[in-house]
Amino acid sequence: MSVRRLLIVAAILLLAVAGFYRSWAAGAVASGKLFPYAYSIDDLPNGLRLVTVPTDYPNMVALYTVVRAGSRDEVEAGKSGYAHLFEHLMFRGSENYTPEQRDALLKRAGADSNASTNQDRTTYYVVFSKEDLEDVLKAEADRFQRLKYTEPAYKTESLAVLGEYNKNSSAPTQRLDEALYETAFTRHTYAHTTMGYLKDVQDMPNQYAYSLDFYKRFYRPEYVTVVIVGDVTRDRALELTTKYFGGWARGNYVPSIPAEPPQTEARTAHVDWPSPTLPWLAVAFKGPAYSDEVKDKAALDLLSEIAFGRNSDLYRRLVLEQQRVDQLNVDFGNHPDPELFTAFARIKKQEDVEDVREQVLETFARFTREQVDQSKLDATRSRMRYGFALRMNSSPAIAAALAPYILLRRTPDTIDKLFALYQQITSQDIQMTAAKYFTESHRTIVTLDSKTGTK
Amino acid sequence: MMARRIVLALLTTTLLATPPGAQSASVVQPGTSPLVVFRIVFMTGAAFDPPGKEGLASLTAAMLAEGGSRSMTYQQIVDAMYPIATAVNWQVDKEMTVFTGTTHIENLDKYYGLLRDMVLDPGFRQEDFTRLRDDALNFLKISLRESNDEELGKEYLYDVIYAGHPYGHHNRGTVGSLQQLTLEDVRAFYRTHYTRVNLVLGLGGGYPKGFEQNVERDFEKLPAGTSDKRRFDAPKLAAGNRIAIVTRDTRSTAISLGFPIDVTRASPDWAALAVATSYFGQHRSSNGYLYGRLREARGLNYGDYAYIEYFPRGMFQFTPDPNLARQQQIFQIWIRPVEVDTGVFTLRAALYEYDKLVHTGLSREAFEATRQFLTKYSNVLTQTQSARLGYALDSRYYGIGDYNTYLREALPKLTVEDVNRAIQRHLTTDRMQIVIVTKDPRPFQDAVAKNTPSPIVYNSPKGKEIMDEDALIQRYRINVKPAEVTVVPVERVFE
Repeated sequence: MSVRRLLIVAAILLLAVAGFYRSWAAGAVASGKLFPYAYSIDDLPNGLRLVTVPTDYPNMVALYTVVRAGSRDEVEAGKSGYAHLFEHLMFRGSENYTPEQRDALLKRAGADSNASTNQDRTTYYVVFSKEDLEDVLKAEADRFQRLKYTEPAYKTESLAVLGEYNKNSSAPTQRLDEALYETAFTRHTYAHTTMGYLKDVQDMPNQYAYSLDFYKRFYRPEYVTVVIVGDVTRDRALELTTKYFGGWARGNYVPSIPAEPPQTEARTAHVDWPSPTLPWLAVAFKGPAYSDEVKDKAALDLLSEIAFGRNSDLYRRLVLEQQRVDQLNVDFGNHPDPELFTAFARIKKQEDVEDVREQVLETFARFTREQVDQSKLDATRSRMRYGFALRMNSSPAIAAALAPYILLRRTPDTIDKLFALYQQITSQDIQMTAAKYFTESHRTIVTLDSKTGTK
Repeated sequence: MMARRIVLALLTTTLLATPPGAQSASVVQPGTSPLVVFRIVFMTGAAFDPPGKEGLASLTAAMLAEGGSRSMTYQQIVDAMYPIATAVNWQVDKEMTVFTGTTHIENLDKYYGLLRDMVLDPGFRQEDFTRLRDDALNFLKISLRESNDEELGKEYLYDVIYAGHPYGHHNRGTVGSLQQLTLEDVRAFYRTHYTRVNLVLGLGGGYPKGFEQNVERDFEKLPAGTSDKRRFDAPKLAAGNRIAIVTRDTRSTAISLGFPIDVTRASPDWAALAVATSYFGQHRSSNGYLYGRLREARGLNYGDYAYIEYFPRGMFQFTPDPNLARQQQIFQIWIRPVEVDTGVFTLRAALYEYDKLVHTGLSREAFEATRQFLTKYSNVLTQTQSARLGYALDSRYYGIGDYNTYLREALPKLTVEDVNRAIQRHLTTDRMQIVIVTKDPRPFQDAVAKNTPSPIVYNSPKGKEIMDEDALIQRYRINVKPAEVTVVPVERVFE
């Protein structure tokens, strides 16, 4: 099987182990490439991509398989939650491995294995000792290509998904999220959460045939990137990936994700929560999609920290001085389609909700009028760089840091492009971008409070 | 006084011994990583909260990590840490308090200077106290009671088992006690317990030569103090199994059950019991036996696990936090929330499977597979520098040497007979405590009082083996006297 090699970075590999770390330590975070590891990218002819990142953390290997299927891809009415359901079904056996055989293999390997799903991707991981690489990869390849589950097993697993909904359901923030997204989005599939609507989850047991279609659509090599990080060589990773994934037939499904029409009016929603809680406030604006080239997303990334982070003026006022809020967070993830820039606040007293709402709104408005201080901007860039560098403290942590970017651009290179873009953002860029996105007509406000009052 | 040190060189497997209980000590793991990890441990915690002042150890730690130092307000500290993306995190358990942080080596001096002043020269401002006590109150009243039925049940189980014991309150305190605490209480706790004799410095990563000695010298500023080391006895539970039903308006039913064991990492039976527990319910793994029976075969819930060590926040993480070492532990089964109409069946199924474990033990094959798993899995547990340092500190507490080495040496010596003997010795009980979080207690009360069957209806056909077993489970006697079923409205929990 011929394999097209896109990129081979070898220079750093020649460095001695300790020297490698030291070379990274010497000022690299403040200025140099943020993703310091040499990596290789290999594309198989069937569309599957392999990203190999050798590290000098000994013995362990992290195998991350990123599938470009998330709740964003759930375009049919009544079928929310299926990307996540698949995260479960993938543990239900394949042609050459019953669930028990797969479990036994992973148990022998002392492996840590799990998966997660979000709006845009499903990520499967196995962390294990390097001597088990072939066994693990072979089993992994089997379930991606030859998943096999009976209808009764399917129905049983759908109940485990309901169980997951149940265990999440005691948190008011789950309901707040549901209300926020179904209010802010009218056509795009971001309107539903990754878990899906409860009624759709409850209907899953009846949708065995649909589940098979879903698998055929998305579990295809062109949707998948295999990321292998750790005590591994590129040659070995490529040899085994080619051997076990090389025969996988390419698919042809392309989901038609409905575009969200421009929002033209401010929207609000309120959730009555059945038991005691502190009130929650979510103020969201439609934001831009991920880009490592266009400045909008990067500018607002910086602003999200400056306006709502731990040393923002708003945090100081609401959390530290007035002590009206005990949690102030911002959520502005990287997504292939425009998503939400949301500030969340948990307010200690019901009577303060209105005032907190005004202060949050004024914070959004302020940055459409004012430019941020240069020193604050520089400090925020620094914070983001060190924050990213500090995450990469083991091979699995490196793989986990990579996975979201693999979904977006299929290459670690986008990380350095993005952080280079952050360096170019000016205070003026931030103000102009804030003015473009933080307009009343793009806004959605959701509140949640206890019907019975706070106890 | 120069602190005595334990040096654990990176990737070496020997912990150079310093006897536990020596004057202030260090555990250091120098290496080549560009990250430097701190774990500053004080051998004190919630078990040392004075009666009526429950939550004081936690609030004191919070005042250090989330409050100002004498020279800087908390806001100034946050501002200083902002560009270097660091923080000081804290964790208080019954006998251990730990402050953790990681910095890139480029910012080591700056970070350490902040950390040092926060721990050694705290500001103890009233506004920080008010905010952090509010946080503790809201954690108990809202985050735990009203937002997370699983953690609520798991934590309340500890309250039930340790009632009247120094472990017998949540680490964050109680709603009543927190309202009584004062800033002077915090100062007094700090003066008494943040002492050299209680201190163990943990340091790992690529810090420069001489750095650890500087840190040790700085921490000599603490008063010598008297050791908090004391013996905690097993809880005195009256014989008999019990059920406590916490009622709240929720759409599902969460179940936790357990009882005290006299096994810790320092015990000869620890490895054997670790094998039995991993086999029965390895945390968040599809490999556990109970998970296989309840979730995989029946679809009752999201997962079912078992523990012999305290493991808080398990729904948010796959590996346990280090530095939760205790003299007393419990065996615990965690049943994740189930649909209300299968609650009684699931409790019966858990008890049925637990009794089966006790009566039949592990097969030779199950034993071999689990032993092999644990031998390798210790590498997963200790994959980060911070975890390795944390495990080394816990090993010091238990006096067992390097954790991975300890396991690699203990596991090969085990036989299946050892494991099954350990099960017989430690897991037979007539003191099973069961905590259920649900809306309506009556089905459980009826099942106990009248042995009302709890048949289950599936959405798909099941094999004969499951159906036969279900016929036993649905009538399986819940061995609890009706008078031993109590109902606790959620607002009384942690009150």
